[in-house]
Amino acid sequence: MLSEQLREDIFSWEGIMTIGVITAFMIIIIGNSGCIDSESTDKESKTIKVSGAYALYPMMVVWADEYQKIHPNVKIEVSGGGAGKGMADALGGVVDMGMVSRDIYPEEIDKGAFYVSVAKDAVVVTINSENPVLDELNKRGVTREELVKIFITREIKTWGELVGKPEIKDEIKVYTRADACGAAQTWAEYLGDYTQEDLTYGADTGIMYDPDLAGAVARDKYAIGYNNINFAYDIKKESFVEGIRVVPIDLNENGKLDEDERVYGTRREILQAIENGIYPSPPARDLHLATRGGFKGETKEFVRWILTDGQEYIPENGYIQLPSEKIKAESNVLESGERT
Amino acid sequence: MNFRTIEENIFKILMFISLIAVMGSLIGIMAVVLIKGGAALSIGMVTTPPESGYYLGGEGGILNAIVGSVYLASGATVLAFFISIAIAIYLQREFTSSKAAGIIRTSLDMLWGIPSIVYGVFCFIVMMYLGIGTCLLAGIIALTMIEIPIMTRGMDEAIKMVPPELKESTYVLGSNRIETAIKVVLRQGLPGITSAVLLAFGRGIGDAASILFTAGFSDHIPASLFDSAAALPTMIFFLSALPSPEVRDRAYAAAFILLSIVLLISLASRLLTNKFSRYIIK
Amino acid sequence: MKILRAFISMDSRRKKVVITTKLMLAASALVCALLFVIILILFSGSLPLLKQESIINILFSSFWNPGKGGFGLYPIIIGTVYVTGIAMLFSVPVSILSSIYIAEYAEGRVRNIIKSFVDVLAGVPSVVYGMCAIIVLVPLVRDYMAPFLGATSTGFCILTAGMILAIMVFPIIISICVDVFRAVPNELREVSYAIGATKWETIKHVVFRAAFPGVSSAVLLGFGRAFGETMAVCMVVGNIPRLSSSVFEPGTTLAAFIATNFGEMMSVPFYYSAMMLMALILILVVLIFNIIAKIIIRKSYGGGGR
Repeated sequence: MLSEQLREDIFSWEGIMTIGVITAFMIIIIGNSGCIDSESTDKESKTIKVSGAYALYPMMVVWADEYQKIHPNVKIEVSGGGAGKGMADALGGVVDMGMVSRDIYPEEIDKGAFYVSVAKDAVVVTINSENPVLDELNKRGVTREELVKIFITREIKTWGELVGKPEIKDEIKVYTRADACGAAQTWAEYLGDYTQEDLTYGADTGIMYDPDLAGAVARDKYAIGYNNINFAYDIKKESFVEGIRVVPIDLNENGKLDEDERVYGTRREILQAIENGIYPSPPARDLHLATRGGFKGETKEFVRWILTDGQEYIPENGYIQLPSEKIKAESNVLESGERT
Repeated sequence: MNFRTIEENIFKILMFISLIAVMGSLIGIMAVVLIKGGAALSIGMVTTPPESGYYLGGEGGILNAIVGSVYLASGATVLAFFISIAIAIYLQREFTSSKAAGIIRTSLDMLWGIPSIVYGVFCFIVMMYLGIGTCLLAGIIALTMIEIPIMTRGMDEAIKMVPPELKESTYVLGSNRIETAIKVVLRQGLPGITSAVLLAFGRGIGDAASILFTAGFSDHIPASLFDSAAALPTMIFFLSALPSPEVRDRAYAAAFILLSIVLLISLASRLLTNKFSRYIIK
Repeated sequence: MKILRAFISMDSRRKKVVITTKLMLAASALVCALLFVIILILFSGSLPLLKQESIINILFSSFWNPGKGGFGLYPIIIGTVYVTGIAMLFSVPVSILSSIYIAEYAEGRVRNIIKSFVDVLAGVPSVVYGMCAIIVLVPLVRDYMAPFLGATSTGFCILTAGMILAIMVFPIIISICVDVFRAVPNELREVSYAIGATKWETIKHVVFRAAFPGVSSAVLLGFGRAFGETMAVCMVVGNIPRLSSSVFEPGTTLAAFIATNFGEMMSVPFYYSAMMLMALILILVVLIFNIIAKIIIRKSYGGGGR
């Protein structure tokens, strides 16, 4: 059926290269599917899919790693996307569990959302490391009222206005999250009876995803934004992420930062402050894992492990453990499948 | 007299500026991608999957995305090929009336224009209805839907150019429509068909909107059709705005690879077209 | 039954023809049906919201706050119009002028090189465009263009999105226009030269006029592409659904909005419907532009295809 010429062409160098490349792909595909896999185990391998809030993402990655070490036949896929995506994916049955960094809404419960709380972290205010009034801010902090005027009402328009130096005319550029997420909702709740849309309405730019928001603030000198702790503080270096500084909040509103309000230097400090209740909740909040109906099978095993052995990994990874009574209560909820 | 020449010269200058704008944009894009991506590319980047703590500056490369993209685009191109070639052959006069062919071609043109995010949303709805999670299969199906109009259009053009006399002479010799289609028409249209396939592949490997919700994202290399899969375009989308330069480098490396693939396809299309022209009876 | 008996009694060659033909028909029918299925599903998904609020309210209200029952799509629609408008404003003149040069003035090798450039531009994935926009255009707008015109901007704004979109649309318009110009019969040009017109006058009065329908349809197709572009736009447009008063302010487009907010739809009732409605609007607008483009071609060039 193949003519002389066609045969000649197929065997020319281009033809051989193309055939070679295609064959290589086939080998990779087949090999990876486990058919020629010499290490295939007897047990069927299970996959657990997790998606959602960036707040929980670093912790979940650690948990997945440690769990997979103990259970090598389980594969855990973790992706981000924001709390909104996590909930939507969980309710849609598209993932096994969604990471949610805000309160679960009643409408979501009506749709079958079931959740357990597993850890705690917080949202902090971030600015660029080359901000013109960085030193002043470190001395005086910002009050909640001022933050409302910056983020929501936009009454405070320049950095100079904020610190009482009208000669500094650089405008404040407000960044927020474009994707539906827990960080924005939590931050809006802290500022008052606001929602993420109120934050969006007042902002100058919406950026998708938590780490990208930090990235945008890091590249704009006059920016202000907000992040989960673990994307504002660098995990490895115990200091701030490159180009970012965290703005201290003047909690007692006396116009300056007192000793006990100076907790923003390192991640350890601020975690301590959250645990002690100095840093308020919100913007600190519980982190949840949600699913539709109830946790089943391998996923339930994994969550059970998170609530027991997994808890030991929490402090060193930049989170706060929930109090042990709460964890016990959550374990009961997990087992019974009901939340009273 | 002078006025006419002045007008001509003004427009010549404007045309020149426009041309510079167009070529300059491409050169600019290539420069950014090649410089940033080239700096980030290394053997390790291309051969290791990412390790944990990816977003936060963990170790590892982008092998998960490379393999994911190859699976997604190849799977989609193969599926689309069979459907497209069937449709393209069917559009000939031997098989359908011009009315029916008109309807089919119009539908294809409409499908060609649909933004890829709509395909992604549609596939996601179907996935939710069927209870399937984000997976390679869903991504492949979404990409197939995008590739079919592109591929069919190219193949249709190629097949339309086959001279009817050629086909008539085969019918006279007793061939039936299918035999003619496979043995003669496809041979004759081979250059056009190859370019259509390559073009569709290029589009499939670069598209992000459709696989955003359907293929998901994963740090692992997909081992089965029901695993989530990372892909080069989604990797660029997620990582190019991150604060840590090492992590951004991965996005740049992915962009470099994608751009190289596009250039290779352009080149291959040209080369193969020339080579396969030998089979055409002129 | 009769058909089955007839089929079994055919010889094997004929059987092959019948089976293959039916398969091809199935494939074609499937693809035609796909279009309707997509529209149908999007429409049925939007029904809950459409029953709840009047379509006028949805399309023209500026109140977007789904948590509080506000589903005004107006800012998003206007944002889409702005971004697409700016893209076309930059792209159409540049593309047409370039096409004229490529088709009429450039010689063999030069033309081939430029055509290769345009082909490569057409193949670059949209995320790569978006990435380059973040690296180059955002600082450009923020640090140079906005201050130059006395405004402040984060660089993530309608202008930036429009600019990168313009570059993405170049190859579409250029490739179609070049083909259209080259298709104008040479006799027309000869006649024009014969009565003493210069090359430019010929182009302006004869070639362009003859090619006008094709050029219009190219522009419409480019518009459709720009209208539906998602990734590059959502990376740089700022993603704030708000009526903007200047191009340096952020905005959002239908496609970008769907991409960014697709996650939230489960929590708020009707959010899902609103998303479906946005996707439906997207697909319908693009379809309308494509249909108009086709009608223009058909009317002027007398039926395509056979």
